[in-house]
Amino acid sequence: MNVFTLGFVAAVLIALAPVLLAALGGALCARVGVFNIGLEGQMLLGCFTAVAVSAKTGSALLGVAAAVVAGVLTAVILAVGSIRLRADPIVLAIGTNLLAVGLTGFLLRSLLGTSGTYSSPDLSGLGRLGDTWIGRVPVLGDVFASSSWVVVLSLLLVPALAFFLARHPAGLRLRGIGENPDAARSLGVNVNGYQQAAVLVAGGLCGLAGAQLALGNVQLFSEQMTAGRGWVAVVAVMLGRGRPGLVLAASVVFGAAEAFGFRLQGLGLPQQATDAAPYVITLIALIATSARWRRRPAAEPLPEPTAGSAVEPTGGAR
Amino acid sequence: MSDARVRLAGITKRFGPVVANDDVGLELRAGEVHAIVGENGAGKSTLMSVLYGSVRPDDGQILARGRGVTFGSPKDAIAAGIGMVHQHFQLFESLSVTDNVIYGAEPTRRGLLDRRAARARVATLVEEYGSTLDPAATVASLPMGLRQQVEIMKALYRGADVLILDEPTAVLTPAETALLFTSVRRLAERGTAIALVTHKLDEVMQVSDRVTVLRRGAVVASLATAATTPGKLAHLMTGRDIEAATNDAPHEPGAAVLEVTDLRASPVHVDRLTVRAGEIVGIAGVAGNGQSELVQAVVGLRSASGTVRIASADVSRADVRRRRAAGLAYVPEDRGAVGSARALSITENLAVGHFRTGWLKPARLREFAADLMRKHDVRGAGPDATVSSLSGGNAQKVVLARELEHRAPLLVAENPTQGVDIGAIEYIHRELLDYRAAGHGVLLVSNELSELIALADRVHVMVDGRFVAAFDRADLSEQRLGEAMTNAAEDAVTTALKPPDDPPAPPVRPTAAGTGDAGTDSAAGTGDAGTDSAAGTGDAGTGAAAAAPGAAHDSATTEGRPDGDARA
Amino acid sequence: MATLAPERRTTAEAAKGVARRAVTGAALPALVASFAVGAIVLLSAGTNPLTGYEALFRGILLDTNLPYLAAAFAPILGMAVSFAIPLRMGEFNLGGDGQLVLGGITAAAVAIAIPDAGLAGYALAALAGAAAAALWAYLAVPLARFGRVPVIISTLLLGFPAVSFASYLARYPLTDKGTGIPQTPRLPDAMHLPSLPASAYVNLGLVVAVLILVAYWIVDARTATGLDLRTLGANLRFGEYVGINLNRRTSGALAASGAIAGLTGALIVAGPPYRFIDGALVAPGYTFTGVTVALIASGRPAGLLAGAMLFTALQVGGTGMERDVGIPRQLTAIIQASVVITFVLIVAVQAYRAKTRAGAR
Repeated sequence: MNVFTLGFVAAVLIALAPVLLAALGGALCARVGVFNIGLEGQMLLGCFTAVAVSAKTGSALLGVAAAVVAGVLTAVILAVGSIRLRADPIVLAIGTNLLAVGLTGFLLRSLLGTSGTYSSPDLSGLGRLGDTWIGRVPVLGDVFASSSWVVVLSLLLVPALAFFLARHPAGLRLRGIGENPDAARSLGVNVNGYQQAAVLVAGGLCGLAGAQLALGNVQLFSEQMTAGRGWVAVVAVMLGRGRPGLVLAASVVFGAAEAFGFRLQGLGLPQQATDAAPYVITLIALIATSARWRRRPAAEPLPEPTAGSAVEPTGGAR
Repeated sequence: MSDARVRLAGITKRFGPVVANDDVGLELRAGEVHAIVGENGAGKSTLMSVLYGSVRPDDGQILARGRGVTFGSPKDAIAAGIGMVHQHFQLFESLSVTDNVIYGAEPTRRGLLDRRAARARVATLVEEYGSTLDPAATVASLPMGLRQQVEIMKALYRGADVLILDEPTAVLTPAETALLFTSVRRLAERGTAIALVTHKLDEVMQVSDRVTVLRRGAVVASLATAATTPGKLAHLMTGRDIEAATNDAPHEPGAAVLEVTDLRASPVHVDRLTVRAGEIVGIAGVAGNGQSELVQAVVGLRSASGTVRIASADVSRADVRRRRAAGLAYVPEDRGAVGSARALSITENLAVGHFRTGWLKPARLREFAADLMRKHDVRGAGPDATVSSLSGGNAQKVVLARELEHRAPLLVAENPTQGVDIGAIEYIHRELLDYRAAGHGVLLVSNELSELIALADRVHVMVDGRFVAAFDRADLSEQRLGEAMTNAAEDAVTTALKPPDDPPAPPVRPTAAGTGDAGTDSAAGTGDAGTDSAAGTGDAGTGAAAAAPGAAHDSATTEGRPDGDARA
Repeated sequence: MATLAPERRTTAEAAKGVARRAVTGAALPALVASFAVGAIVLLSAGTNPLTGYEALFRGILLDTNLPYLAAAFAPILGMAVSFAIPLRMGEFNLGGDGQLVLGGITAAAVAIAIPDAGLAGYALAALAGAAAAALWAYLAVPLARFGRVPVIISTLLLGFPAVSFASYLARYPLTDKGTGIPQTPRLPDAMHLPSLPASAYVNLGLVVAVLILVAYWIVDARTATGLDLRTLGANLRFGEYVGINLNRRTSGALAASGAIAGLTGALIVAGPPYRFIDGALVAPGYTFTGVTVALIASGRPAGLLAGAMLFTALQVGGTGMERDVGIPRQLTAIIQASVVITFVLIVAVQAYRAKTRAGAR
């Protein structure tokens, strides 16, 4: 079975893009010391806003812009609540995820007048690069055939974020805050400000991810259509330890799993089996990676003469 | 008076009903080292936080170079030329020395970090200070003394001419301390005003020009160091004479309650450690030399190779619960994060661990708690109040009460008096001595040499995870303990600073010990030999309870080192 | 005797005491605020909030809706207890949907396989459902221990394959052929949960759910296990230090949580329409209503009872509102989410105020 064709690569790209965008936002938060699990809800609101605005205005670009704004606005709750007011970030994130489900379900009916799934010819999608001049370029044309410009942007954001973290003064400050916020504070750096900014940027990226999912990957909105992609992004952040390149690698694993699932479905496997595949594969990847870390503990500053003694804090089921 | 860099006048700061600073005045002058002393809770930290802009005073004024200023945050204080070296270093361990120094005030070129300029400026600062710091080194790889230099560089990089040092020697070896004081004097000579916050009076006498004594938030004296004595200062600090508890009962050890052999848990490398019934065995060392890892390995919070026997039961692979069942009680260093659940009631904090199975009757639990609170004089709240409503000393008594009540053959106590006031310290010391007198064994880990000298029957000195010397009670003195730490630690520092391209040191043969010429090898060679051979002598020292630090340590690294001073 | 320094209560400590009291005092303001949020949503959708809320309360109080109210109460209470148990020790089981569905489909499969076993057979089927869900929830423990996956993430991700698997079973191997609907055949009549005198919708399941709550209440308040869980929840490191076996307690809490979710699923399939229908267990949102209840009750048993009543009423009222005036019942989900959000915000603000009042920065 030859699945690793250029067409498969193209399918992987669009499958990974929404997860990658959200995960890059999550990675930014992770580097500044915020464990952001509100990605799913922000992405879902991004999906809905993109579809609703695109359907009403006929402009995909406006839809994307509105989705980014919606993501940022949702993130305001998290940013102000958990960072400024010091409310429990996990409960707050659970709350915003729930709010997104309720709000999109409600607005789907009251605004778009349907329930379940909305799709309409009024809806303007993001367009495929395959239909532009890129489609005529060999190899590249095939790889990006079904991608939108948002997919390309998501890939470009990986080196951009890495460069920003390494070389920009704000990147250095972010990394420092993530490692020791008290130290940053003692040097007069506005820790809360940087953390809130990171959460808001992540919200915008999640909105963008939602727009790509609802206007790029498909052209419709259905209730809870993110189906855990925001949580997979959280896993990608953990797998990549907040480093953009590794986060991309983790997202590729998910994208490949989803694309592979579609292929299998074409071969007659029940949809339910292929639906579950990405989550199972994501979990397995997470376990495999952390198992590898365990065997190779962090290097000690001074060489340890007694090799072979397993040095790990005991227990700890979290 | 004209060269006053900073003047604090009438500073008052209340936290609820507590007056942390009461009309405090302080003047820091150019070229002067000004010591600020006082007991725990006397208001030193609050005063320094006011000076550094991290706490806003309720009343009073700050004058920087004669001009009135208000500090909204450390940023304002930094701008006014004030730098602070915190007791707990505020460093980014994964970042380089350079990145740590420039952090928050980065040189840029076209909007991006200008690493070349940064490195050059840090290198210049390091040179001016007379330091050996490598600007490219990662902070995580540096020993404590050098990390402190990074902190000082941070302040100097920002142009500080007022430098606050908060308990700067707490994590330093005596040798590192000496080096620090030399640098501090040099900074003062160049016109920097230095505030030295400490509770160690010998340091005050050694390095300061003036001293201000705080008691219960107020200044009780401000005088020239030359005009006072440690005894006078101690009396000013406490306002009373404290009768210290000391261990003067005869040492008649019984059966072993703790036997540790060949324990390895990075960085711990302990070949033998025994605690017997009716004795207090101390572990001395500068914080961060593997003491907490050793304790965690003994109590079962960290996995390790080797064997641990508690009251004759082999618990090497057992979890905390089974070690406690075998006869372990444990007073951890961090009473807030480990030793108690601050959000739960005092009753629950005392009961957990004592009521392990079956049905719980709330009335029975409360009665148990009330009993213990009476017995240990826990004051300030009833049994239903949360632990968080108690003062530090009383919270520590709750921890102590719960653990002592187990009447376990072995009590492990880790810095049990850290951050509690003198009255409570004395109480805790008496409790530990009573526990010993009742026929139990105590393993006492402490960063305070005076505490070990007052209480311990035997003391092991721990450096880099290894026992490098052992002393019997009769031979205990601050000087001997300090020398044992310094000698071993110097070797470690030398090793850490060794240029990477140095040839590997030749292995030291056991026969070289005591001949006196092994130590004339290169610095790198001595360093390695120190670490290696200390392992071999650790257990010898334990078994024999050797008298002199030199003998207990290793002759190859200490006695036989004619170039020791030259390297220091 | 030593002279002791005068007692001091630091500000941060005083603030924490106030914060603790605030937890109980934040639920009501949060509820009020959330209805305000709901009103804003209604207004922005062009509806008069009064019309909406009137329909909502009519839906709750309408006599004919009472049976629905009672029927929805049992699963909501069950899912609330399920979420509360790990919450008590500071863990989040977000995989309730998967465990609920797994319990339901397993119970249905076993019941259909032993059609002549009667109510005892159903008990066996329900136990099988609970066991399957318990095992599924327990999987999070080795994942956390050996894979370092946080429980909150592993439980959630494990939910997706569980729902997919149950859906597959209801569509293919266990499907009720000929109906064209993804559902299992009806359970044998003898296995239907006996109805209480009130109505066909109010059955033994309600009694079982209340018994589960009572059992949780007793364990929480009167056993060492309950004290252990609360201790771990208050301070994990303290719990390990006093010798609580964290691994065992986490395993137990998650397995119990899963078992209760599974049992809840088993109870649902033994009530009308007496079969497992794909999506029917997940669609009403029992799981997240349970999560909401447990969160604002901080896992406390008494709070679970009150919260479950309140949110059941809200949910049933929402259905009535949709039927009467055509306002989407997702409004209640919005109100629920707002309750969670405003609740933690109010708790945080109260703690912050207490701290500033006490004089700290």
